[in-house]
Amino acid sequence: MSVSNKNSVTIFIDDQPYQVSTEDNLLAGVLSQKLNLPYFCWHPSMGSVGACRQCAVTQFQDENDQRGRLVMACTTPVTDGMRISIKNAHASEFREQVIAAMMTNHPHDCPVCAEGGECHLQDMTVMTGHSAREYQGTKRTFTNQYLGELVGHEMNRCITCYRCTRFYNDYAGGKDFGVYGSKNQVYFGRQTDGALESEFSGNLVEVCPTGVFTNKAFSAHYTRKWDLQSAPSVCSHCSVGCNLSIGERYGSVRRVMNRYNPELNGYFLCDRGRFGIGYVNGEQRLRKVKGISQQSPVQLSTLDIAKALSHFRLKNFIGIGSARASLEANFYLKNIVGNRNFSVGYNDCEMQAAAQHAQLMQLGRTPNLAEIETSDFILIVGEDITQTAARMALSVRQALRNAAIAKASSIGIPSWQDSAVRTIGGTLLSPLFSLNSTKTKLDDVAEQALLMPVERMSLCLQALEKLLSLGSKETVEKHINQHFLQEPFLQEQLSTSEQHFVIAVYQGLCRANKPMLVSGTSLVNAELLESIAKLMLSFKQDNGITEPGLIITPPCSNSVGALSLLDEHSLSIEQVLTKLSEQVDKEKSLKLQGVIILEQELAKCSENQIQQLRALAETLIVLDHSENRLTKLADIVLPVAAVSEGDGHYVNYQGRAQKFTQVHPPVLPIQESWRWLDNIADILGVKVSVEGTSVEPLRENDKLDASVNIKVNTITKNSSCQSLLQLHQFFAQHYPSWPELIADIDSESNDRATARMSHRASGRTSQMANISVHESKTTQKSDDDFRFSMEGASIRQTSNMPFAWAPGWNSNQAIGQYQEHINGPLIQHSQANFIAISADLANNTHWQLVNKVASDSDKIGYSESVPNSLSYVQQQSIYFSEWQAALTPEFKMLKQSNQLFISNVTAEKTGVKSRQWCKVVFSATNEQKQLVSQTVIGQVMVLANLPPSLVFGNFPLCQSLTYQLEMKITAAEAQEKTDHLSQFNDDVLAAKASKEAVLERLKENDQTIPIRLVSGGLNDA
Amino acid sequence: MSDSWQSSNIKPLTEWVNLQQPPTYSEYCQHGGYQGAKHAVLEHTPNEVLEIVKNSGLKGRGGAGFPTGMKWSFVPMFAEDDENAPGNKYLVANADEMEPGTFKDRLLLEGIPHQLVEAMIIAGYTIGANKAYIFLRGEYHLAAKRLQQAIDEAYQENWLGEKIQGSKYSLDLYVHCSAGRYICGEETALINALEGKRANPRAKPPFPQVVGLFGKPTIVNNVETLSNLPHILKNGIEWFQAIAPNSDAGSKIYGACGRVKTPGLWELPMGPTLREVLFDYAGGMQDGLNFRGLLPGGASTDFLVAEHLDTPMDYDSIAKVGSRLGTGGLIVLDDKNCPVAMVLNLMRFFAQESCGWCTPCRDGTPWAVEVLTRIEHGKGSIEDLDTLAKLCDFMWIGKTHCALAPGAVEPLRSALKYFHDDFLQHIEQGCCRYDPESSAKRTQVATAGRAVS
Repeated sequence: MSVSNKNSVTIFIDDQPYQVSTEDNLLAGVLSQKLNLPYFCWHPSMGSVGACRQCAVTQFQDENDQRGRLVMACTTPVTDGMRISIKNAHASEFREQVIAAMMTNHPHDCPVCAEGGECHLQDMTVMTGHSAREYQGTKRTFTNQYLGELVGHEMNRCITCYRCTRFYNDYAGGKDFGVYGSKNQVYFGRQTDGALESEFSGNLVEVCPTGVFTNKAFSAHYTRKWDLQSAPSVCSHCSVGCNLSIGERYGSVRRVMNRYNPELNGYFLCDRGRFGIGYVNGEQRLRKVKGISQQSPVQLSTLDIAKALSHFRLKNFIGIGSARASLEANFYLKNIVGNRNFSVGYNDCEMQAAAQHAQLMQLGRTPNLAEIETSDFILIVGEDITQTAARMALSVRQALRNAAIAKASSIGIPSWQDSAVRTIGGTLLSPLFSLNSTKTKLDDVAEQALLMPVERMSLCLQALEKLLSLGSKETVEKHINQHFLQEPFLQEQLSTSEQHFVIAVYQGLCRANKPMLVSGTSLVNAELLESIAKLMLSFKQDNGITEPGLIITPPCSNSVGALSLLDEHSLSIEQVLTKLSEQVDKEKSLKLQGVIILEQELAKCSENQIQQLRALAETLIVLDHSENRLTKLADIVLPVAAVSEGDGHYVNYQGRAQKFTQVHPPVLPIQESWRWLDNIADILGVKVSVEGTSVEPLRENDKLDASVNIKVNTITKNSSCQSLLQLHQFFAQHYPSWPELIADIDSESNDRATARMSHRASGRTSQMANISVHESKTTQKSDDDFRFSMEGASIRQTSNMPFAWAPGWNSNQAIGQYQEHINGPLIQHSQANFIAISADLANNTHWQLVNKVASDSDKIGYSESVPNSLSYVQQQSIYFSEWQAALTPEFKMLKQSNQLFISNVTAEKTGVKSRQWCKVVFSATNEQKQLVSQTVIGQVMVLANLPPSLVFGNFPLCQSLTYQLEMKITAAEAQEKTDHLSQFNDDVLAAKASKEAVLERLKENDQTIPIRLVSGGLNDA
Repeated sequence: MSDSWQSSNIKPLTEWVNLQQPPTYSEYCQHGGYQGAKHAVLEHTPNEVLEIVKNSGLKGRGGAGFPTGMKWSFVPMFAEDDENAPGNKYLVANADEMEPGTFKDRLLLEGIPHQLVEAMIIAGYTIGANKAYIFLRGEYHLAAKRLQQAIDEAYQENWLGEKIQGSKYSLDLYVHCSAGRYICGEETALINALEGKRANPRAKPPFPQVVGLFGKPTIVNNVETLSNLPHILKNGIEWFQAIAPNSDAGSKIYGACGRVKTPGLWELPMGPTLREVLFDYAGGMQDGLNFRGLLPGGASTDFLVAEHLDTPMDYDSIAKVGSRLGTGGLIVLDDKNCPVAMVLNLMRFFAQESCGWCTPCRDGTPWAVEVLTRIEHGKGSIEDLDTLAKLCDFMWIGKTHCALAPGAVEPLRSALKYFHDDFLQHIEQGCCRYDPESSAKRTQVATAGRAVS
């Protein structure tokens, strides 16, 4: 296999010529040729340190040199014409000795090790041929640590490759983990027991070549890798869209592993992505239909639904979709209810921000994570990406090393010489600037990180924009030198530190070759996004400054997918309520029959609004996978599939549509949202605009929308969609906008489907051996790229690998065998599919910002900056900020007691000290101009660099508490503190009990395996 | 300590050593102290000093014998007005003398601390370092005290601090007491330790001359190497080379320990034969004991035996007979002590001191300890000798991250060659013929020590 690379040269490996790139080291070069050479300390994205000495090869001077000398391939550069041998006895014997030496202390406890069967150490041991133990001495032993609920620790298995600390500390910037001891007593862990603090701790499980660090949830309900049924999936917990391989057995999800995508997650995931899958098995899952009576005692049928919904035939509903439901489900819902009755559950504020976001998406292509890692200047504004898009923060960290890599390169050290580059770099980092309302975990590597309320961020960006529009960078530099801080627009509006910040950012931008600007929608502030838009436009001028790549991270896995469906007629929640109340007394034909809510918990709605919604909607149909306040109020509840149980697409922050594939069929009546909507559409019909389709509607019921002149047909479908492919075909037939969304609707469909199980899966006869040794039939599914079976095409044939495995490579590191070259694209890779985001939403004057701010000064609720008033910002949390992941019991056990960060000025005024327990009363005027208040007991933390007008904490504040917020701090009484802590302890204990209950139920279920003959809709049971 | 080191003719390094009461500043000056530094700082440019040191033929006395001037020449030089120049380079004296059987630097550190201070001014001036550290073995409490006194005096006399003796050159000198690891003798591990990091040797390149302490160009020199500088500067290249006309330039402090009559240290012109040092200076073996072999330069060098006694103790000659001059401190083995026990003892030291970074050293040295322990206990088998030979190959040069493991292998592999019969005897007779009881006791400690944490 050859690498088409301009830097490739010919080298001779065991006298055979190979084309190898000079950009990476010899080990990467050898592995790129799909040759087997064992390694431990090297990692494709962490480079070489030469610690384990496992990848030794013999290097020869020339073709006459018969002796050669041993070199470590990972620390050897590739040079033209170099001759090496892997097979040479000296090298292969040495490699065997290395394993033998490592094994002197390894406990050989493979039967009870969660890594068994996918252990890199096992693979490498077999690869070297080491098979007999000569060491006769005792083994060293260690005491293990409690590292929290996510990662297990078994230090006796350690072979001291140092990868864990290189990942945790060097790569991910963790501070609470390290190396202790020396000689053959090197210990990897924390100073004391305690939960790992890094958002990336789960990667230790994959980074560790053996079973020192294990996935605790997986170990608790364990199965060997070869018995897992897996499918390629996409993370459902944030907008980055990391690619996952989800593994299932006996109907329950067992674990999430990284699925290599060189443009996004590479080799690493965040802990929310890896462990947040717990919600799929959780106690809170909806497993029954509510509000539909069932004819057969055995199962629900489509007839039951038809019967229950029949009186809604061709009636109008309002549909509330969501940013966590698949693109297909949202699109379907929008077209069932019609675009004038469609909302994605955003409130006015969020709609306004979404309108700005949609416009920002027009400005150009959004960089992927790999591109972020090549950046040399990063400005982060108003988003704690370490918590909301954690994997991106990891990429930002890597980008900051570019200055060190450049310095190393200037003295001839290549970037893959990891320890050398780190020695040369020292504390040198590429510039990172950050404006945030809460402190973030990137502050430690930022050149400047300022804390401020969101309004001031906009001011800073406006000042930066003005600097940029002053002209060429030479002119401005001169300007800054001569009239430093003399500019009125700087002086009048900005504090000294803000002025320094703006000028430092400007100067950084002037020097940058590949700058990036990262922001998000967490603060739900349209003005901030507008300032960013204006700033971005100022780069379009010819001022010699490179335009930064712009990244906006919304909160959910399909936020951008939802954004793509919003148009000028889309409704906010407030508008939904208004529309419902307006229609209550109107003529019957136009009457809104009710509301269909699709995987939407309406978290931002106040209790008041939820009650209003319930009261106004005659029929409330809720589709969701987990209980929430809406499922309790709904008339009809339809239990939907979680990410591992169905097919669909999520659209990531870039607009990249990625398919997640069904890992296992759900237990009926749970089915994918789009199947439920398909059942509903069978009754309600689907709205199609007349110009939009050439297809003759099957049954027409034309209606003229009173307000506009576009004809909307409601058509009924002639048959149900049996598969996602059929659904796509149906969409494509009726909606010209659909193929633009998902361009290649059947790119993967072929008659050689890939096996979801490994070819070693324990036979089907043994799967239910406790019940019967009869071989059960495998589940069938139409138009499926994958089979619920161990039979099928090899994973080599697909770009979407359900799991990574290659002969001799049982661990996830098998991925190297499928890359064009190490760290390159997969050999079988399909083009990423980006969907276009229209800016239609912004056409609706309701969501335009320009006039809004000026004219609405008397209307309270959003957007206005109220000078000198107090802002409270809730800290984002990797565990709790995303609704689905937060349902995971392991995460609930990581809950922290209340903390409030205040400035030292406030602390002095109120006389409280850092870490003191306080009673904080927040009060404000709500939407109805009433005075409302909330009392919080918590620990106060004092920050010196916090503006007095900003406080932040880890607890939510009631939605109404936004306008003219005031805060009163007094020392908490001992009893108040005790009460808070006991409540907190109760919550943690409840989470623990729930974790244990889930585990017990899952283990019970393993004895009664649900087998579905066909994975499809309700009638396939 | 014996005074016999004073019996040689030319001994510039140790002539004024006084272990009871080291020379004060004024005493040191009376003996010609700070003349070399004066020549260097006030009369020469750094480049001229570099040329002098290069041409003198001075080689590193820490063990590797690398030419000092050449090492310095790798340091990137900055123009005097270069804004990067001040504070941008470091000089470190490697005073982490932890090689078993070696105590030569201690003599200099405790007996004549001003000599090292003066030497560091010269070296610092040459490479353009404004900050210098003495990385001192943690156990050398007395040396720490005396060095600090000397440094304080040097500050008072403006030999340290701002604008030394009215020149443009400034130097701050600090004593850093090591927490105590053998690996800190390796210069990059030393630098890591000095930075407060784990004492693992660094990947090279980059070499410390280019990227060293805190990322800046750094020179690490052995105490004895540095101590030659004042004399070279004061007396000139010809004088230095004439000390030992037939060998490497200059004098060297040789030492001997073990069951010799007068163990001690002697500064001699480079290149006395092993026999001279062993018999003329160390007084030969104690009565009733016969010579079996010796390690010529500390614990990490190969054994030499009777047939090698006429080898001159300079870098090349010792290398030719299969060992290394190392530190020049002989460890002498007699015929009443067990060579297997001696090698085991050494191997235990190296296993203990392995930093734990690379596999051959981390897991190979304890494995060798395990095999040697069994052999010493009479529980070895003939296959164990193959295992030991394999381990020697496993930990050899080129296979490890630094020189610690190859150093650990040197006494073992040479013992297997020269004392093969002793190993066989242990295996065949199932006991140690020297002093089974005490050897059993010694090794018991080791066995007990293995069941840790």
